[in-house]
Amino acid sequence: MTRPGSVAELTDALRATGYLADRGLATAVHVALALDRPVLLEGEVGVGKTELAKALAQVLGRRLIRLQCHEGIDAAQALYEWDHARQLMHIRALQETGTSSDEAVDALFGPRFLQERPLLAAVRAGAGAVLLVDEIDRADDEFEAFLLELLSDFQVTIPEVGTIVAEEPPLVLLTSNRTRELHDALKRRCLYHWIGYPSADREVAIVRSRRPEVSEALAASVVAAVHRLRAMDLAKPPGVAETIDWARTLEFLGDDLDAGTADLTLGAVVKDHDDEELVRTRLDELTARG
Amino acid sequence: MADLVGLLVRFARTLRAEGVPVGPGDVLTYCASVAALDPTDLADLYWGGRIALVTRHEDVATYDRVFEDFFLGTGVDPGELLELLLRAEPDAETTLETAAPDPGPDERPDEETTLGLMASDVETLSTRAFAECTEDELEALRRIMSRVRLRPPLRRSRRTRPSRRGRRPDLRATVRRSLRTHGELVALRYRRRRVRPRPLVLILDISGSMADYSRALLQFAHSAQRGARFRVEVFCFGTRLTYLTPSLRTRSPDEALARAADLVVDWEGGTRIGHAIDEFVRRWGRRGMARGGIVVICSDGLDRGDPELLENAMQKLARLCHRVVWTNPHVVAGGRGVPRTVGMLVAEPYVDELLSGRDLASLDELAALLPELG
Repeated sequence: MTRPGSVAELTDALRATGYLADRGLATAVHVALALDRPVLLEGEVGVGKTELAKALAQVLGRRLIRLQCHEGIDAAQALYEWDHARQLMHIRALQETGTSSDEAVDALFGPRFLQERPLLAAVRAGAGAVLLVDEIDRADDEFEAFLLELLSDFQVTIPEVGTIVAEEPPLVLLTSNRTRELHDALKRRCLYHWIGYPSADREVAIVRSRRPEVSEALAASVVAAVHRLRAMDLAKPPGVAETIDWARTLEFLGDDLDAGTADLTLGAVVKDHDDEELVRTRLDELTARG
Repeated sequence: MADLVGLLVRFARTLRAEGVPVGPGDVLTYCASVAALDPTDLADLYWGGRIALVTRHEDVATYDRVFEDFFLGTGVDPGELLELLLRAEPDAETTLETAAPDPGPDERPDEETTLGLMASDVETLSTRAFAECTEDELEALRRIMSRVRLRPPLRRSRRTRPSRRGRRPDLRATVRRSLRTHGELVALRYRRRRVRPRPLVLILDISGSMADYSRALLQFAHSAQRGARFRVEVFCFGTRLTYLTPSLRTRSPDEALARAADLVVDWEGGTRIGHAIDEFVRRWGRRGMARGGIVVICSDGLDRGDPELLENAMQKLARLCHRVVWTNPHVVAGGRGVPRTVGMLVAEPYVDELLSGRDLASLDELAALLPELG
C-alpha cells in the first residue's frame, strides 16, 4: 500500500501486521501522510510508540530508518560524517603515486568517503522511508533546533557535495517519553498524539495478536492483573510491552496466573525494587478472580 | 466549505480563549487535517482537531470540554458525543483530592503562623495574593535578590569541542589540517568534552508554618530563573506539589508572582513534605528533571504526613540527583542548632548540605555554595 485511502483502511492494514491502533492514532497517521507532517507521539513507556513505526513501514512498504537519540547526539552521528581514516589512506596513496589531479582531490570528498547517517538516509530515501526519531527528549536543545530545521524543508547541505533535497518527504514519527518538555517550535511542526494505556479488552486483543500462542484465558488474567498493578500507584507502572512479556513468560513456563506463579515471574512486569516489595505484599489481591 | 472553515476557526478561537495555546499556523493545520478527513463524522472532527491544536497532554481535558460545549451547541447528539469522548480518553486521571473537614474559623492558618510550630492538616484552598506584601517590602526584596546570582556546578557533557590537547583525536580536524601540508600529518588535533551547568531544581515550602518566608522564596525563585543560562525548575508545596516554572516565566516579577499565586491552591495550608517530595520524584524527577541535578529544598521540616513516606522519598531523591541541599529557616547560620523535628530527623541522612534559610543574607550563602558542589 503506498497511501491508505481512509482511516479505516489504515487501521485494517495495521491490524493485519499485528498492530492495533485506536481511532485517534490512525487518524493522526492518516492526516500526517496527507499533509506531509511529522507526528509527535508521547505517552507512557511501553505503549507501542516505537512498534508503530515498524508496523507502518511494513504496511506502507517503506524502509524503516531509525535514529535513536541520546544526550550529546550531533550532526556527525545523525546526518553524515566523512570517513576520515579512508581519506587519510587515500591521500597517502595519492602521494605514493604522485597523482595530484583535480579529480583525485575531488574524489576525496566524493560519495565514496561519505558515511550516511539516519537523517541523510531518510532525506535521500524520501517518500520511500519511514523515519523514526526515537526518544527525542533525550537529545538536547541544540539537536532539537537542528532537527526542526531539517523537518521543515527536508534538505541537507553538505558543503563539499551540494544540497540534497527529498522530492517527497518521508513519513516522520517522533517519540518522546516526556523526560523533559519539548520546545514549542518543534511541537508546532508536528501533529501531536498521546498514546495512553489501552482498555482491558483491547489489551487482551493486543497480547493475542502479538503472541498468538498465549491462550485467551491467560491473556485475560494477565491483563486484569496488570490493570490492578497500574491502579496500585507504582513508581513505574507496567506498559503494554510488560504485559506481553509477562504473558509470554507464563506461557513459556506453562503456568496459569495465581499468587504463586505471579511471585516467581514478577520480574517480567515490575522493574523497580520498591514497587516489587509493595506488590509482593499484595499478590493475592493482584491475582484474585473476577 | 466556507461555512465549515468559519466554524473551525471559531472553534479554534474558543479553544484559545480557554487558555490552550493555538497559533494561526495551527488553525491552518487544523483545517487541512479536517479536509483530509470526513468532517461529518464526529470522531474525525474530534481527532482532526486534537492532533492539530493540542500539543500538550495537559491540554487534552480542556480540548474535550471545549469540544463538547462547542459542538453540542450546534446540535450534536449528546449520547453519541459522550460515547466518543469516553473512547477518546480512556486514561483520564482524577487529580482532585477531597479536603479534610474545615476546622472552623477559629483555627485559621494565621494563628498557626504566629505559633510557628504547628503545621495544619487541612488544605485551605485559598489563593493568597502577593498584594499583602507591602510595596516597599517587595521593592527591597527585588533589589537584593536580583543581586544574588545562582551558578550551579558544572558537569562534563557528552558533547565535545575541538581542542589542541585532549584524549580523543579529532580526525575531521586533523584531516582538514593535513590538506594544507599535502596530506602530511604534522600535528594531531583533539576533541575534549564540553562542560555544562547542572540543572537546578528549587522545591519551596509555602505552608502555614513557612508563610513569612515563602513570599521571599518565590521572589528568589523568580529572580533565580530570570537571566539564568541554565535550567531552573521551580516547585512549591504545602499539602500538594505545584509546578511553577511556566508561570514564573515572565519578565515582570509582580506579574510572575501574581500568576504563581493564582496557581498555588494551598497557600499557607498544611505541610506534607513526604507527599510532595514523593510526588516530585515520581512525576518529574524520575523522568529526568532531577537526574544529575542539584535539588534545593526550602522547608522547616515540619511534616504532618507519614515519616516513612518522607524517608522513602528522600532516599529516592538522593539516589536520583547529584546533590540535595536543604535550607531551613530555623537553622542558625553555620548549620548548627537544627531543630529536632521528626521531618528533619528523617530527612537529614539524605541531605548533602544543610543551610540556614533565616534571612536574605543566607541566600548569599546558598549562592556561594552552589558552584562548589561539583
